[in-house]
Amino acid sequence: MRHLFATIAVAAFATASVSQAALAETKVGLLLPKSGTYAALGNEIEAGFNLALEEAGRTGDFTIVAEDTEVKPPVGLAKARKLVLQDNVDVIVGIVSSGVLGALRDFIDGAEVPLIVANAGNNAATGAACSPYIVRVSFSNGQVNRPMGPWLVDKGIKKVYTLAPDYAAGHQMIESFTAAYEAAGGEVIGGEFTPFGQTKDFGPYLTNAKAAGPDAVFVFYAGGEAISFVKQYGSFGLAPDLPLFGSGFLTSPLYVGAEGDAAIGVVASLHYIPTLDTPENKAFVEAFKAKFDRPPSEYAVQGYDAARVLLGAIDAGATDRASIAAALPKVKYTGPRGPLEIDPATNNVVQNIYIYETVKADNGLTQKIVGTVEGVRDDPNGCMLQ
Amino acid sequence: MDSGVWALQLLNALQYSMLLFLLSIGLTVILGLLHFVNLAHGALYMMGAYLGVSVAMATGSYWAALFLAPLLVTVIGAVLYFALIERLRHSGPMNQVLVTFGLIFVFLDVVRLLWGDIALGLDVPPLLAGTAHFFGIAFPTYRLFIIFVGLLVMALLWVVLARTQIGAMIRAGVENSDMAAAMGINVGRLFFAVFCVGCALAGLAGVVAAPVLSATTGMGVSILVPTLIVVVIGGLGSLEGAIVGSLIVGFIETVGAALAPNVAAISSYVLLAAILILRPQGLIPARG
Amino acid sequence: MFHQTVTRSLVLAATLAGLALYAIFGGFFAREIVAEIAILAVLAISLDVVAGFGGMVSLGHGAIMGVSAYSYGVLTVIYGLPPLPSALAAVAAAAVFGTLVGWVTGRSSGIFFIMATLAFGQMAYTLVFKSRWLGGDDGMAGLPRFDLAWLGIDMGSSLTFALFAILLIAASYIAAAWVLRSAFGRTLAGIHANESRMKALGVNTVIHRARAMGFSSLLAGVAGIVAAQHTQYISPELLFWTVSGEVLIVVILGGIGTLIGPMVGAVAFVLLKHQASNYTDYWHMVIGLILIAVVVAGGRGLYGQAEHWLGRGARKAEGLRRA
Repeated sequence: MRHLFATIAVAAFATASVSQAALAETKVGLLLPKSGTYAALGNEIEAGFNLALEEAGRTGDFTIVAEDTEVKPPVGLAKARKLVLQDNVDVIVGIVSSGVLGALRDFIDGAEVPLIVANAGNNAATGAACSPYIVRVSFSNGQVNRPMGPWLVDKGIKKVYTLAPDYAAGHQMIESFTAAYEAAGGEVIGGEFTPFGQTKDFGPYLTNAKAAGPDAVFVFYAGGEAISFVKQYGSFGLAPDLPLFGSGFLTSPLYVGAEGDAAIGVVASLHYIPTLDTPENKAFVEAFKAKFDRPPSEYAVQGYDAARVLLGAIDAGATDRASIAAALPKVKYTGPRGPLEIDPATNNVVQNIYIYETVKADNGLTQKIVGTVEGVRDDPNGCMLQ
Repeated sequence: MDSGVWALQLLNALQYSMLLFLLSIGLTVILGLLHFVNLAHGALYMMGAYLGVSVAMATGSYWAALFLAPLLVTVIGAVLYFALIERLRHSGPMNQVLVTFGLIFVFLDVVRLLWGDIALGLDVPPLLAGTAHFFGIAFPTYRLFIIFVGLLVMALLWVVLARTQIGAMIRAGVENSDMAAAMGINVGRLFFAVFCVGCALAGLAGVVAAPVLSATTGMGVSILVPTLIVVVIGGLGSLEGAIVGSLIVGFIETVGAALAPNVAAISSYVLLAAILILRPQGLIPARG
Repeated sequence: MFHQTVTRSLVLAATLAGLALYAIFGGFFAREIVAEIAILAVLAISLDVVAGFGGMVSLGHGAIMGVSAYSYGVLTVIYGLPPLPSALAAVAAAAVFGTLVGWVTGRSSGIFFIMATLAFGQMAYTLVFKSRWLGGDDGMAGLPRFDLAWLGIDMGSSLTFALFAILLIAASYIAAAWVLRSAFGRTLAGIHANESRMKALGVNTVIHRARAMGFSSLLAGVAGIVAAQHTQYISPELLFWTVSGEVLIVVILGGIGTLIGPMVGAVAFVLLKHQASNYTDYWHMVIGLILIAVVVAGGRGLYGQAEHWLGRGARKAEGLRRA
């Protein structure tokens, strides 16, 4: 009888604990573009995020409220306010566009809601405009480009011509590359910024680049512009005499297939490649391919790591906005990208940057790593977190 | 800049002008003849690119895409004509602007639904791949092909308009459609034929541009403004106007981009504003 | 010709009251929506003044609104001036810009006028986009709201701001109605109806059109201030021509040339947009189809069509009475 009573008591207690845990569900606001030019990136980040939760078996612990930023700062801000003030989320994850991030920053900081940035690379977000509530797990524009500077000098490339689209990210990418390249002894002999989003035809710029007589060309382009640029670079036959280097988004696994053979031989730097030969990455790539029938891109990994970092914070005991915000920067682990931690001085991710070459494979194109720069960390650049 | 670089930049400009020409000639004749402001012309260009990509993927042949895409776009255009355009022909520019603006939105999402959000590439056929070397410069062979297509269409249209009876009827219709109808020309059927040819040219421009620019969901909107600028600068309804307009805009945007990118960005708009103020009928309008 | 009918006054009062109730009882997101509606409504009213009553369809009104928003941003964020004088200066700047555009395009009409305003709008957009001191495409943050603490009003509260925005809709409507009923407005209607006749009467139509654009731009400038203060952040996208396209759609959707219609259109458009984007990622298509449907159905828009039916009913009743 006592035995039965004890069993029932234990069962009741166990049930109570389980439902207590279920009540302590974390509400996540997933703020990504679902329409417009960046919709593909938004979907990719969400795919990675959900994969991480599934893999950990913790999908039930999270309620996800998804909203579309439409890549428009006012819309993003309105949706963020809704998530915070109406849906009462504990944490927001996402943000593809730096413009949207810029619009949200003051609100997030003022409302004291943790935000895990899963893409937007604007330097200031973990620099002069940093906040104890904004943690970035993707990259900063400077971080991805700096390693190419010394690497190019090392390869004997003394003179470089730069190209990038004429908007904030384009300028930041080139500026950080230029600073690192010139500090290592190289010379940027010229460069141009092409009209953002409207440049379909790079012919005139490529012609100018060649005319300037550099040893190599270094560029930043992403998405549709990257595809056009790489293809046109190939069609002008510049490659053997004038090698093309760039920020890794130029030949991102997400769309390098559309670039075709023109992408072969292009060397770029990125914080993640699907061909990284580590057990963590192999497992991740397999799981992603099994679920989505395509290899993961850096955007998928960013979403995946956003979830991992959040899980890490929850597992450390965080339950509400304030504790999550405090716990996020302390999470450290080795994931598909390699070792990952958050720098408390900036709340930006500290990660490896991989320099890779696009090469031909049996059924398409793949990435071959030609250099690894470990633990790339940003300077505070005006951030006063510490 | 040495002569080789100049030559390359001029070729770049010429190639872009040809693309603009293919688009603007359809738009200007539709505007000049049907008095119809068809903002959806850019969307038809986009459909040409995407349909070209699909045909190429299905058949493995660029040439099949080059041939079929304009035809398919013409069919779409014909459907639009009977469903909407005919009804709105006399409605005045504002309604036409609005309806075709609405069509832009519809096509944008239809494309997203059918082809997704990621940019799609179209491969250049082996015959046209690679770089052509001549007179000491290297220029992509495919871009030479674009110039060739543009010039060929220009020549064909000139011959048709200036030398054939149908050309004469079209020119008469543009000058004075009531008079032309009074003279016994079946203006309605003529308009439909011209509209179809305009759509075919827009589709051709799309499939021709796709290997260089990729098929993207924003391409219909982004090409629309330069095309409209060409039409206004060149003058409504005339082939010569479209040629001159596309050369001017093509050269300003390309050579300007090469020499002074900051100015080039707004130069087409400045030119547009100047023409609208000083010579609103355009440089070579069909009607004096 | 503009007449302030009983129906219009009723619809105006009802709409404003409805928005206010929605803001008070609808929760936080409702207040965001009301502010969004207000910006669009004021902009739509401003566009109707020139497009509906002057026949001048402008695709540059988004840019004009943007000029006001950026002027406000520059004065408050970069120069640190107080919000109220900065707002007045910004609205004036938009009016000046609009007057210039109106004067330069004064002789164009129809599709050419549309394109000219598009060109000027895009020029403004490109200049702002390329100006790194304005923040470029990263935009400018930290724009302040009015400080009415000395009146005991907290503009930081979304509810207060939403009600303030509703008040501005009312003020813009009243201002527009007053101008349209004045001699100036009647001259504008005359130019719309028959420009050569007005010229023959000695009216300088170009100057008059420029002034009309100036007044319309003043109202657009007010919309710009609300937009700037609502999100307290501005970016060059405000000036892109598709924004102008959207407000034109709103005017048509509501009913061009009725002044009430655009306001109704703004409410319908914003609510529709939010509803549609809840159900589908493809709401551009939804908006496009609705726009086509409205134009094909006669182009009177929601309110315009309603007014037309009421008018028919009244005329029928009149006819029956006489018979």
